[in-house]
Amino acid sequence: MALTGRTALLAALGTLPIGFLAPSWVGLLAVNAPLALAILYDYALAAPVRKLRFTRSGDTSVRLGDEAEVHLTVTNTSSRPLRAQLRDAWPPSSWPAPAQQAPQAHQASSRHKTTVPAGERRRITTLLRPTRRGDRHAARVTVRSFGPLGLAARQGSHDVPWTVRVLPSFASRKHLPSKLARLRELDGRTSVLTRGEGTEFDSLRDYVPGDDTRSIDWRATARQSGLAVRTWRPERDRHILVVLDTGRTSAGRVGDVPRLDAAMDATLLLTALATRAGDRVDLLAYDRRIRAHVQGRSASDVLPAMVNAFAPLEPALIETDARGLGAATLGHARRRSLVVLLTSLEAAPVEEGLLPVLPRLTQRHTVLVASVADPYIEEMSAGRGTVDAVYGAAAGAQAQSQRRRTAEQLQRHGVTVVDTVPDKLAPALADAYLALKAAGRL
Amino acid sequence: MTSSTSPTSLAPTPRQIWNRGRGLLVAFLILLTAGITMAALRSGDQHGRLDPRSADRYGSRAAAELLKSSGVSVDVAGTLDEATAAVGPDTTLLVTDPDLLTPHQQRTLHAATAPSGGRTVLLGAGAPSISELAPGVRTDLPAPVGVLSPECSLPAAQRAGKVELGGERYVTRLAGADACYRNDGAPTLLRIERPAPAADNGSGTEPGDTVLLGSPDLLYNDLLDEQGNASLALQLLGSRPHLVWYLPSLSDASATEGGDGGGNSGESRFLELIPSGWLWGAFQLFLAAVLAAVWRARRLGPLVSERLPVAIRASESAEGRARLYRKANARDRAATVLRSAARDRLASLLAVPPTEAHRPDALLPALSARLPTTERDLSDLLFGPTPSDDAALISLVDQLDALEREVRTS
Repeated sequence: MALTGRTALLAALGTLPIGFLAPSWVGLLAVNAPLALAILYDYALAAPVRKLRFTRSGDTSVRLGDEAEVHLTVTNTSSRPLRAQLRDAWPPSSWPAPAQQAPQAHQASSRHKTTVPAGERRRITTLLRPTRRGDRHAARVTVRSFGPLGLAARQGSHDVPWTVRVLPSFASRKHLPSKLARLRELDGRTSVLTRGEGTEFDSLRDYVPGDDTRSIDWRATARQSGLAVRTWRPERDRHILVVLDTGRTSAGRVGDVPRLDAAMDATLLLTALATRAGDRVDLLAYDRRIRAHVQGRSASDVLPAMVNAFAPLEPALIETDARGLGAATLGHARRRSLVVLLTSLEAAPVEEGLLPVLPRLTQRHTVLVASVADPYIEEMSAGRGTVDAVYGAAAGAQAQSQRRRTAEQLQRHGVTVVDTVPDKLAPALADAYLALKAAGRL
Repeated sequence: MTSSTSPTSLAPTPRQIWNRGRGLLVAFLILLTAGITMAALRSGDQHGRLDPRSADRYGSRAAAELLKSSGVSVDVAGTLDEATAAVGPDTTLLVTDPDLLTPHQQRTLHAATAPSGGRTVLLGAGAPSISELAPGVRTDLPAPVGVLSPECSLPAAQRAGKVELGGERYVTRLAGADACYRNDGAPTLLRIERPAPAADNGSGTEPGDTVLLGSPDLLYNDLLDEQGNASLALQLLGSRPHLVWYLPSLSDASATEGGDGGGNSGESRFLELIPSGWLWGAFQLFLAAVLAAVWRARRLGPLVSERLPVAIRASESAEGRARLYRKANARDRAATVLRSAARDRLASLLAVPPTEAHRPDALLPALSARLPTTERDLSDLLFGPTPSDDAALISLVDQLDALEREVRTS
């Protein structure tokens, strides 16, 4: 049961005849009894809500920043036409936060007005523009079914489950073409006549003027009439294990994005690139236990699997268990691999947690540590002029030198360190991977 | 109905309503039963206390029947109007609980009884009522009910002998007052003669009097046959042919009259003055407001809750450190850090190995080789003492920046 503004308005207008014509119980009754009857009549003739049938269809996944369409089909099984206001409720983060000027906009996207004649069905489309990663579960569908007079309404809810998975936006995919071009250069398959670099013997072919004379294979030349050159290609079928630290340091926001999201973006670019280069990529997300895990996927499968694994991943506000992280990494990287550790370069966690387990990792694997730097620290350390700014500059410089010292400590263990701001992290990580590949260190 | 309900509907089925509601229903029933039981058990004693029609322990039907059989008519008055209407020279007025009367009622009662020439018996009149109903008498500390002997010349008391009295004790200086049944010196029965009414025209008419009884116990059915209780009761209440048994109650309409009469009449005058159309219109408008509230209060489905992510800036610890430096005026620490950062940058510009960047003998020669003409005291700038105040710290940073620029452009 719900009333409308029309009912209240009629009751308010009833004040005039009561006040001027019949100021008595009789007048009061003469106005309100018909009104009450009309309300009851309207309520009785409103289409029943509990007999409505709902089915959903539409998108089940969407990239962060894109729009998802979810359709809701309403079937009116009763013999009365349905005039209804309908709310397809979703969690608040399914739409951009309402601006101060238009707080109704948020409501507007989930509310619909619909008319369904008896026995027919209508499709209603709700547009979602999620603002965060993760799974969005549809909350209930609430229907307010008005009577023919628009005085009263029946109201009820239905639970029509649907889930839209919001995937990471993979903003760094714009860097992919340039990195692939660089990879092709390495591969020797480029249309430009650049000598393919690499360390793995590929094949022999006839000498073409312009080839590096150092690559002539004299032994093969001796067996045939023409000159033969060796071609090299980068090694293939190497293993890469990306380890994502989802502990408390990954929750810190740089700009308006958590460090974890920047790390995911970089991971996706690295995965896309390494898959094209013929390497296998596995994933491990860890804080005190394994939070996500992608292993042994084929080249065509690994990127979607990884995006799916990332979608519900949130930073946990606990200190990462570095020993457990090391053990899990060793357990998952059975063969010699490139271990890409996406964590922070804060002094205490690295010195107490990571450094003790590092020798065991570097013994078998090549280790690359990537970390998201905060551009605001640079801004702070450039502050001048006022007392506050100078103290800020001192604190910023202190933080920077600490990071540098930590990075140096890691480098002394033979670890490659990539420490840069979120926008540049993905290309920098890709470059570091290509450099390692070119150097044959995988 | 249930068969055609959609499987997705969240409307509760009758079974769910029953499951949900039966706990409350059982609780309500238990409460109701307990209430009725307790009322039945507790009401036995106090119900109809001192009521001449009640045969309970604390009722007074026995006394009333005895009076009737000795030829006294007993009338029960429930309101003050009935009581005052019945007073007269040959009437005894019994007030069972004078303390329940409001000051206004007490004044009305006293005004009616004082000139009547009849007898007024007040049971257990305490401080709230004594000054109005029996002027000149005040109460002493109450005493427990016990068997007391008359110790006075009142014939009725002497004939009755020992009775059970107690409760309020009275003190008076009025002449001609009979003070009987003293407990620790103060009487619990007091009879005060009132001056004979002005219109006293008959010889058989006795002057009116007021009898104060400290406690009503001797009238209870339960105690009437103890000691001389019955005798005293019959003599006190049977002195006139008519007895009006007044049982004051809070539901008496006269209880609300009087007192703050001024505001009351002003209000009624205001309501009388405005046209009735406005009154009824306002009432209808109020109804409309209620309907509007119902309209606005109904939400289209509940709020949807969601776990929010934590929002911590990654730079928070650095910002906190900056505030800490500022608060502690840590110029030494800040200068050290800033100088060391500048030395690092200079070393990389001058191709000095980073490990030797903080040694004066490695950095300073390289610096002066690059800037042979500089006027600055480089040693003091890069390795000097802590700046003495904030202004010096700011200028130190500016000088470091200037030096770096100079090296860059040279």
